[in-house]
Amino acid sequence: MVEVEKLREIAREVISRDDVRQLIGYRQGTYGFRARPAFITSPEEVDQLIFSPACVNNLATYLTLEEKLPVPRGQEPDLRKVAVMVKGCDSRALVQQMEEKAYERDRIVVLGIPCTGVVDMDKVEERFPNVLSRGEIALEGDKFILSFDGRREEVPKEELLADKCKRCRYPTPLVYDQLLDQEVARFADDDYSDIVELEKRSAEEKWAYWEEKFSRCIRCYSCRNVCPMCYCEDCVLDRLNPQWMRRSVDLSENTAYHIARAYHLAGRCIQCGECQRVCPVEIPLMELNRKFYKDVEELYDYEPGTDAEAPPLLATFKVDDREDFIL
Amino acid sequence: MKNPYIPYEVKILDARYETPGDRCIKTFKVTFADEKVWDTWSHLPGQCAMVGIPGVGESMFCISSSPTEKGYLRFSIMKMGKNTTALHELEAGDSFYVRGPLGNNFPLEEWKGKNIITIGGGIGQAPLRPVIQWIRDNREDYGELTVIYGARTSADHCFKDEFEELNSCGDACCHLAIDVEEEGWPHFVGFVPQLLMEVSPSPENAIAVTCGPPIMIKFVLQNLEKLGFTPDQVYTTLENRMKCGIGKCGRCNVGHLYVCKDGPVFSYAQIKDIPEAFA
Amino acid sequence: MAAKKLSKEKVQEALQELTKFRLIAPAKSDEVVIFKQITDPGEAFLDYGNSTVPPKKVVFPQTETLFRFQRGNPELREKNVEEEGTTVIFGLRPCDARAMSIVDRLFSWDFEDPYYLKRRELTTLVGLACNEPPSINCFCTSLGGSPFGKEGLDILLTDMGDHYLVQALTEKGEKLQDILSAHLEDAPAEEEKKAEEMAAQAEGKIARSINTEGIPEKLPTLWEHELWKKASAACLGCGICTFLCPTCHCFDIQDEVEEMGEGRRARMWDSCMFSEYTLHASGHNPRPTRRERTRNRISHKYSYYPKRFEVIACVGCGRCINLCPVNIDILEILEQVVDAS
Repeated sequence: MVEVEKLREIAREVISRDDVRQLIGYRQGTYGFRARPAFITSPEEVDQLIFSPACVNNLATYLTLEEKLPVPRGQEPDLRKVAVMVKGCDSRALVQQMEEKAYERDRIVVLGIPCTGVVDMDKVEERFPNVLSRGEIALEGDKFILSFDGRREEVPKEELLADKCKRCRYPTPLVYDQLLDQEVARFADDDYSDIVELEKRSAEEKWAYWEEKFSRCIRCYSCRNVCPMCYCEDCVLDRLNPQWMRRSVDLSENTAYHIARAYHLAGRCIQCGECQRVCPVEIPLMELNRKFYKDVEELYDYEPGTDAEAPPLLATFKVDDREDFIL
Repeated sequence: MKNPYIPYEVKILDARYETPGDRCIKTFKVTFADEKVWDTWSHLPGQCAMVGIPGVGESMFCISSSPTEKGYLRFSIMKMGKNTTALHELEAGDSFYVRGPLGNNFPLEEWKGKNIITIGGGIGQAPLRPVIQWIRDNREDYGELTVIYGARTSADHCFKDEFEELNSCGDACCHLAIDVEEEGWPHFVGFVPQLLMEVSPSPENAIAVTCGPPIMIKFVLQNLEKLGFTPDQVYTTLENRMKCGIGKCGRCNVGHLYVCKDGPVFSYAQIKDIPEAFA
Repeated sequence: MAAKKLSKEKVQEALQELTKFRLIAPAKSDEVVIFKQITDPGEAFLDYGNSTVPPKKVVFPQTETLFRFQRGNPELREKNVEEEGTTVIFGLRPCDARAMSIVDRLFSWDFEDPYYLKRRELTTLVGLACNEPPSINCFCTSLGGSPFGKEGLDILLTDMGDHYLVQALTEKGEKLQDILSAHLEDAPAEEEKKAEEMAAQAEGKIARSINTEGIPEKLPTLWEHELWKKASAACLGCGICTFLCPTCHCFDIQDEVEEMGEGRRARMWDSCMFSEYTLHASGHNPRPTRRERTRNRISHKYSYYPKRFEVIACVGCGRCINLCPVNIDILEILEQVVDAS
């Protein structure tokens, strides 16, 4: 478990550096057990930083989300670094972003957090509803300890653990300048058993399944905006001239939106699961992304976000690439 | 009440280019396909209309003709994006659709008896043209009319033939400018705010109306203040991205003001304390 | 009109009666509660907190046709909302009904929006009081609403255990109550008094609040305040807060061309939090970052709208707080506004 004091000490040292502009970490949320992103620019703000199994956000997305405004005349651009705290899965986003040359390695300071798993906040709030005062979640052994309103509740880890953590292959960050705790050995793996089950369904069943889900979609674009790999300045789904996707919200356009986005993430999605977490109408987006992930691994023996020196999958051609699926 | 989202079809009587280049300006003179619309149509200088083609879209443009010009409406449209490119393809005999009149108008009643100075830059002259035309057609109601207008080059001037006519008829005093020295240009060379200081109109019983690029407006407002104009003597038009034009879709707001309803005409006094007006 | 009683055993048959209209009720899609048209009364799920997407989508659909056109034919065929017929929204919460009344003011300001107003005319709202606030983040009482609020509703139902108390509040409500008369009985005496006590109890359970006095006037003075940068730092620029907000009403208008030269001009929900919301064709954007857009959203709801329409455009339903993926909390922002100097 990450010791909060040690985390704050390291953060203090990093944000005090002249060449660091901002540090992105986690702080307590505004109600219940929630945690949320923190953006600090001075050592005095360090005391709000925390890390716990409630810290579900993937902070890597902010590196590509922050707007790049034109620099006013007479001013120099601010080239200082951004420091960011990442769990194992989040660090893969950094690796993939660097693989795609979104920025150079020397523009960021990575504070890696070896992670033993985060909670599924929906499960927590269902188990302990209507908690207003700020509560805390900790992991002790194989139990989550929830402290709130003077109570201390113990819950077996697997009952509240996020599904993605049950399949996690990389709990320790793959890139870091400093590790905030001891490395965590791999404690799970992904055998795609749920995807294999979905693959077995007939075409009619699949259509009916996805029709129910996509009919709920309200095109809030939260899935796209939270995704650390979705950072095209001129997203194909936004363009008006020419227009690829209608703005109108109906089953046809929603289906096109999700399938197009899943294709654009093939070989790039690093499985952080944020898209599914943020969806307000609970569309199981990771099922789409994991299907591609499985295919990419089987066809090309490639896992995105693991090697910053590797060329991006879809920008590479090998003579012996499989072609049997091309009609 | 008529559905305010349904436009009228108009037929193009005349279509001609005012200026050349990538962002060329084309002026359309149109009349309603259904003549009966004229019976209920009434607009005043400053008001706008949504102009568009079903299948492409609509954009807001000022009506560049005064209601004293009977039987037609004029729009001067700069080629900028999807809608305007499609409109530029059209010629006399073709149709497009117009929704309006929308927005508020210049308070010409209040301006009676005053000296009017119009200060325009580039395409910004389009909303000022109906003011000039209205004053010419109601000449006794207004004092002196001074027209200050500049563009990047002489080719970029709009309404070129009208300026020649305007200067020689005695209704107004015209001052033209271009940004950079050009062979054969007999008039002022420099930016519009500079020309304004050259002309140095008196604020006594006067109203100044200005439209043009934001950077020009910024310096014109500063210079008008130097010349002694108070904020309620200065008028301008604001623009913003618009969709419904009738105050429903929410996007054109500048602070608490909706450009399509409270504007596009605003006095400087109304907007000087709203930072978003100058964003 | 005297209050009535609807036994819970008779709810199904009452709903069946209403299926002759366009009956909209909360229903489940997997585990998500949504308002949708039901033809089978068994689909109605009334034992719910609140829906994710508010019932505003019934009178202000996420996507709707304004008119249709055909190449070569100058006539534009206006969409006739009357065809949708009489609609009953059954079981919505008081905050969502109050929100519709707030938005009505804009859609009837000066120009009348025929699509929205006609739908409102054709729709009867049967509300369901909140015996318990549906969420820890509800704050309707801070904005003039209540878990048992009647504003905007035609009928209010209160869950009394084995039956609902039925109170008709408007002429529309009385008409609907008449239609359902076969399934209703007279309410026991004292029941309305009991409901008032339940209302006070429910109001007492609202956990969060904000004192809105002075906020509309104060917001414009905080234009350059640093609180906006901090409040918007985590924002993803998505549309969750706006699309799930019962008082948000911004929309886009786009033309769609289908086959054979047919097409339509449609309008669809838009969000002031999207980056291209105020993007001009020239490329200029007066609100280039999330900071400006967050500042605009809060100012619009808590300052610009009340300035013009005399009511704050927020009903305290708490959806934006519950569902913001990065826990941006409007009550926290408003507290900072109140505290700011």
